[in-house]
Amino acid sequence: MTVLAPNQTQLGSIPPMSLGRVIGAYLSDAKFESLRLLRTPAFSIPILAMPVLFYSFFGVLLNGGGHRPPGFADMMFVGWTVYGVMGPGLFGFGILVAVERNQGLLTFKRALPMPTGSYLAAKLMMAYVFAIVVMAILVAVALTLGHVTLNPQRLFTVAAVMSLGVIPACAIGLAIGAWAPASSAGAFANIIYLGMAFLSGLFFPLTGFLHDIRVIWPTYHLVQLARAAAGMPTEGSLAGHAGVLAALSAALLLMASRRLARRG
Amino acid sequence: MARDTNETDTALARLSGVEKCYGETVALAGLDLEVRGGELLAVLGPNGAGKTTAIALMLGLQTPDKGEVKLFGRSPRDLAARRGVGVMMQEVALADALRVREHIAMTQAYYPDPLSLSEAISLAGVEKIAERPYLKLSGGQKRQAQFALAICGRPRLLFLDEPTTGLDLNARENMWATLRGLVARGTSIVLTTHYIEEAEALADRVVVMAKGRRVAEGTVEEMRAIVVRKRVDCVTTLSVGAIESWAGVTAVTSADGRVSITTTDAEATVRMLLADPGLADLEVRRAGLSDAFAELTQEPAP
Repeated sequence: MTVLAPNQTQLGSIPPMSLGRVIGAYLSDAKFESLRLLRTPAFSIPILAMPVLFYSFFGVLLNGGGHRPPGFADMMFVGWTVYGVMGPGLFGFGILVAVERNQGLLTFKRALPMPTGSYLAAKLMMAYVFAIVVMAILVAVALTLGHVTLNPQRLFTVAAVMSLGVIPACAIGLAIGAWAPASSAGAFANIIYLGMAFLSGLFFPLTGFLHDIRVIWPTYHLVQLARAAAGMPTEGSLAGHAGVLAALSAALLLMASRRLARRG
Repeated sequence: MARDTNETDTALARLSGVEKCYGETVALAGLDLEVRGGELLAVLGPNGAGKTTAIALMLGLQTPDKGEVKLFGRSPRDLAARRGVGVMMQEVALADALRVREHIAMTQAYYPDPLSLSEAISLAGVEKIAERPYLKLSGGQKRQAQFALAICGRPRLLFLDEPTTGLDLNARENMWATLRGLVARGTSIVLTTHYIEEAEALADRVVVMAKGRRVAEGTVEEMRAIVVRKRVDCVTTLSVGAIESWAGVTAVTSADGRVSITTTDAEATVRMLLADPGLADLEVRRAGLSDAFAELTQEPAP
């Protein structure tokens, strides 16, 4: 028997995967991930409707036809975009990863020749798709009913800058999904989501101790970037805020994906 | 080492001296297993024998504590090796909101040269449920859908972990026919099962596992010889040692005054027992697979 290099002999029967097909696999995963969540009302309705409902209630109805002090309408809009952009990442990753980990889907996907990273990339794309839809609705409400002083170009700039907020939201969600049990991941995501939104002063100025510790919340840094995009006054250095969000995202993504790769 | 190279050439997947523990529980205790080209290998064994762990290792889902795992001559963590593999696992919850057809399309995208969507649907026999969301499927239909995902990538090697559990008779026959067709076209299959009939119907080779070890290996005929043994239970005054010396008797155990005899010749054994005036409560039955396993895994007498 001829002595052949075993690796070549064995793999010889499996055709190589073209780059086009690898990219196709990423796109198909992203498409089906978005599709299935759009079809899941328990996910899509809270993610899409809640920010719009809250914004309409607090930012439009309670604004009493624009009688609040100047800047209130703009602050509401900016605050609720931060809230809106965080939802898909936090819940899409937080709850889904925990559930899929628990139900064996993640293990099945790891057994398949799914391209490395496609599982997370698909969820990231899904979060972007949902975030863009949320932003579009919020901008539409702001323009028609919101009494904002920001011009449309400013509104779109805020929306565009905020879409970057999807990444830290996904990173936090992934950390929840990688560590929390499936049964409590939703509760963790909700506590973190609402807690961060209110404790970081998205909707009202903070005082005392809460004001002193506001820098620990990722949403605080995100809303500073949003305010800058809106041309509103900000605190601290913009590069610093962006740096904190980038570092937090990188650290959480790295730790969580390591844990998932190891334990599934 | 020429010998190793030759062996690697013939085995699509191989476990060599693999040990795996989960905490205190020993799942695999030095398992050797190889999957050869073009064969259907049935891995039989009771629950907890280590069958699922063995497959998880060959798929790279877990790493061994000791020993070596190869898939197509490579580490199973290597994506290029896994592109030759299709999988049907025991417990997996696929996305409820996606239709069967969409699940197949998503899975096919991972493979370099998959079947066409319609080929995969008809080969797996899921035409009737292709447009249905996964949530709306019955347990058996879910298994059929998972089977479609396993074969849709045109894999060289197929891992099926108890594929027919929960299927009705008709669906099981269909799956068997598909598996025979795949083997005829050169696909290798590793199938774990509780059912000896399934191994009998399909397998070229059978490996019996118990307590994390390979306890028997051979053709279906060789395994059947173990399973056609009969079990004779009774109360008797005869000693275990005496019964053990009879022709055809392969094992004797005694507990609570009852003696259990495993024999290849039940009639002869019963005739001998009838000579005992103290004989009572005689019962003869076909030894099940579990009896065969029990015998195979019995610790040698001290």
